Amino acid sequence: MTSIIFAKHAQHVVLIHFPIALFLTAVAFDYYAQWAKDKGVASAAYLNLLLAAATTVPVLTTGLAAWAWALEGQRLKGTLLMHLVLGIASSVLICVTYWIHWRARRSPTGTLPTYRLPLEAVGVLVVALTGHLGGILSGVNVTG
Amino acid sequence: MKSKATTYVFLAAAIALYCLAKAAAVAVSAQPAPAARDIKIDNFTFGPAELTVPVGTTVMWANRDDIPHTVVSTDKAFKSKVLDTDEKFSFTFSTPGTFPYFCSIHPKMTGKVVVQK
Repeated sequence: MTSIIFAKHAQHVVLIHFPIALFLTAVAFDYYAQWAKDKGVASAAYLNLLLAAATTVPVLTTGLAAWAWALEGQRLKGTLLMHLVLGIASSVLICVTYWIHWRARRSPTGTLPTYRLPLEAVGVLVVALTGHLGGILSGVNVTG
Repeated sequence: MKSKATTYVFLAAAIALYCLAKAAAVAVSAQPAPAARDIKIDNFTFGPAELTVPVGTTVMWANRDDIPHTVVSTDKAFKSKVLDTDEKFSFTFSTPGTFPYFCSIHPKMTGKVVVQK
């Protein structure tokens, strides 16, 4: 049964697109909302961030499951190790960004801290690097 | 006179040794070259995808790709660790049969070793 469900560990490759797209969209909306002082777009950014943070859970789970089952948890190195480390860092950054937004919305003033913007930029960079390495591993991106 | 004869004897011996060595080299090179036992992993493919070998043969997979790969037997007869670029994995086939295998990172990559008696 396990081999049927996790056969070819395609779940990770499919699911990974959701947090990437949702986080990038959320950051774009948040930057626009900051610039245009648009609360509607800020809410859209918040919802995208919420979904991005939520979808990191199945993505991380399937990625770790692929490591555990397909590679039997053997010690990773090179591109695989980099992908794993950056993937965890991406998930943490997405969740922390969401938490910052969540906390600000619950505060009496509802003001978002400015430091979130460079943090989101770093998040975009790390997500892009992780996705690039994932693309190389899956054969979508060609090296060289 | 005696030293001249000794020189001729040494010269003749040297020529004889050279001829013997040359003949041995020809004899060795005349033997049939060993059949290919290596499988190259490159561009997301195993090459050759199907290899037929006699029992007792050691087959070696060499990853010449820029991407890490594995070599995993479908029936769990053998399994490599993750092979980075230029890393190798060997397995000796001691029983006849057909051994399909794949890369567990890229399961579309498949190959087969047929072991004959």
